[in-house]
Amino acid sequence: MIDAVPLLERVLTPAVLAPLLYPGLATALVTVLLVIWLERKIAARVQMRVGPYYVAPRVHGALQLVADGMRFFFQEVIVPLTAGRGFLLAPALALAFTAAAFAVIPGGPGVVGFKTDYSLLVALAALSLTPPLVLLMGWASNNKFAVLGSAREALLTASYEPLLFMSALAAAVMYGTLDLVAAVEAQARLGVVGLALNPLAALLFFVAMMAATDRIPFDIVMGEQEIVHGPYTEYSGVAYGVVMGLDYVKLYALSLLYANLFLGGWLPFNDPLAGSLVLYVKALAVMAAAVFLRGVYGRLRLDHALDALWSKLFPLAVVSILVSALIAYYLGG
Amino acid sequence: MSAVGEAERRRAPNPVRAHLEAIAAALSRALKPPMTLMYPDVVEELPEGYRGVIAYRYERCVGCGLCARICPARAIKMYKVPGDKRMRPGYDMTRCIFCGFCVDVCPVNALEHTKIHDKAYYELDSMVLDPVEWAEFSRRLIEEQSARSRSPNLVRAVFDEEVGLRYERLRRS
Ligand code: SF4
Ligand code: SF4
Repeated sequence: MIDAVPLLERVLTPAVLAPLLYPGLATALVTVLLVIWLERKIAARVQMRVGPYYVAPRVHGALQLVADGMRFFFQEVIVPLTAGRGFLLAPALALAFTAAAFAVIPGGPGVVGFKTDYSLLVALAALSLTPPLVLLMGWASNNKFAVLGSAREALLTASYEPLLFMSALAAAVMYGTLDLVAAVEAQARLGVVGLALNPLAALLFFVAMMAATDRIPFDIVMGEQEIVHGPYTEYSGVAYGVVMGLDYVKLYALSLLYANLFLGGWLPFNDPLAGSLVLYVKALAVMAAAVFLRGVYGRLRLDHALDALWSKLFPLAVVSILVSALIAYYLGG
Repeated sequence: MSAVGEAERRRAPNPVRAHLEAIAAALSRALKPPMTLMYPDVVEELPEGYRGVIAYRYERCVGCGLCARICPARAIKMYKVPGDKRMRPGYDMTRCIFCGFCVDVCPVNALEHTKIHDKAYYELDSMVLDPVEWAEFSRRLIEEQSARSRSPNLVRAVFDEEVGLRYERLRRS
């Protein structure tokens, strides 16, 4: 018989636990349920409604999403006859890639699955693998709405990814590192959070994050009133749950990145538990801000969004890198 | 600022300011109380003369049939009742439009509006009542109405300049 304990010890390493438990999938699942509920509650309050309520009225309907999730689980997954290869593979892969990002995103002081000097790069790279899979979803769905949605995703991806990388680069230049842990430590050393040092980069990262996760006003890919649900039109049951949750998991991952890069990560605490909690709360605040904007904006037209992203925000991103270079020069030199 | 200048400014708002204003507007709304009536957890206090389901009092009715004549929706029909030499009105709730003509025309006030309109049935047939059923149904309806008016969850609509309509609890629990 194989001795189970050393085997478990070998399997249950931080590199496995981080993507699976905290900050990874398990936490992400809870966060997604929480954030969607928050989104619906906030949007309701902006419109002076009550929002989800009757599932657990005592906690203001916080279990609504648990109920929805259960429904997704027990619903039949319908694969259209005309669906092509990869119809079900694409959502699963996309979720896996998003989860991979959690291996390198620190969830607190010392809470990091896989230490690398390039964690920022690895995380962004893993997250940027999802748009091609969304294209695959649309293509495999073999449905005009899905294909239209995919085309929009392609155009939008080509516009926000540069912005996301440029604003992340601005942060990297400012701290002189591509490692998220080192970035937080740099903020501790300087005694200022990134948001105060380079608000422009922080704002641009936030905007790119909104676009990357299909948040209103960039929900062009889904465009519910125009193209049903874009690339996700044909999905049902638990597959729908995954594709719908995907953007929120991505939002969670990017919010963690944002909190680490611009909000000082786990500072002012250095204790793993308190630090993780503070970081999580910061990420939650970022997500709350992102979903709050649903109540503020309408959907941008695709060409307006592309125009704004390329001709207005991209030059600003270049400026933000210059600002970072200046900051690094004065503070570091 | 001149009117033209004002119009010009409106056409091309400062983008930063416009964003901030939009966000501030949404925030200030989010802080206001919702205008939702928490039906059916609460009972709304309805005004006098509310046109709900019609209640019928058999003992007052003289069987003149005026209500059946005037009803524009043909919701009232006269029936023979065993042991009664006059015909009496029956009521088809699927047809009634709550116009109140029957209430107005009845010479002996045998008909009245209740403040109840939210009734649900599994079968259409159970919404068609003969005179005896209608009388019995009306008795229960009037009981229910007075129970509702004594409910601890009674709310009243108040006009609020900020949010429009708002519902206030009449009794503290
Ligand atoms: S309220 Fe109008 S429609 Fe209804 S029964 Fe009376 S007369 Fe007919
Ligand atoms: S009008 Fe009044 S009294 Fe005459 S039949 Fe109808 S309910 Fe009876």
